[in-house]
Amino acid sequence: MAERPEDLNLPNAVITRIIKEALPEGVNVSKEARRAISQAASVFVLYATSCANSFAMKAKRKTLNAGDVMAAMEEMEFERFLPPLREALEAYKKGQKGKKEASEQKRKDKEKKNGTEENDKSREEEDDEEEHMEDEPDAENEGEEEDVEN
Amino acid sequence: MAAAVAVTAASTESELDRSGTEEEPRGNDTEEDGPQQTGPASVPHSRLSKLPLSRIKALMKADPDVSLASQESVFIIAKATELFVEMIAKDALGYAQQGKRKTLQRKDLDNAIEAIDEFAFLEGTLD
Repeated sequence: MAERPEDLNLPNAVITRIIKEALPEGVNVSKEARRAISQAASVFVLYATSCANSFAMKAKRKTLNAGDVMAAMEEMEFERFLPPLREALEAYKKGQKGKKEASEQKRKDKEKKNGTEENDKSREEEDDEEEHMEDEPDAENEGEEEDVEN
Repeated sequence: MAAAVAVTAASTESELDRSGTEEEPRGNDTEEDGPQQTGPASVPHSRLSKLPLSRIKALMKADPDVSLASQESVFIIAKATELFVEMIAKDALGYAQQGKRKTLQRKDLDNAIEAIDEFAFLEGTLD
């Protein structure tokens, strides 16, 4: 499955939903407009990534972080995004923390029951901070494979 | 009966979570065995992003200069993309309304891209 950047679209259903929620009732969106917006969104991701990455490289870091993305938004003249993004980031961090604690707790509970069986699995949960771009198995299956071009 | 329902609920949650959290490798010991949210701080953070993080990450991967990206950065880009879609849809709507139309058309997008500085990066990129 050789995927070129241009081929990677975001799920139609989600794009459509975002558009509908942004526009007032009674407004329709043609199929061509929707497709163009979806394409534009993909281009946005590529551009934002490239921009963010140059900040990371300037700082001699190999890992792109949230700060790089924020800096990229400013660079791209999307400062208006910064307040909602900061808010979303805080909520996301809290969620991650809660989830980590919950799974830590679960692991501890399991260990009490199972003994050593869980030790190997628990190691996998530690390193959830970095998305390794190079050599991951890429086995994700989202439930949102709504790529049917209607 | 109840168990079956719980399993269904768990797998639905699993799907949402998979697109939201990107914990890998997916050992899946946390999600599959019963009620999903057991911790006190069980904010459904996977719903903070409407766009699937794995797809966003796949796009980011397409850049050969990008080696590693934190989960947070993937999430923020997803969120920013959502805001971008909202913004461009609203701006394009203005042009449709000028043309006394209630249907957004491709030309409204083109007009918005041409007129608005922030969208200059899109010029020449759409089919």
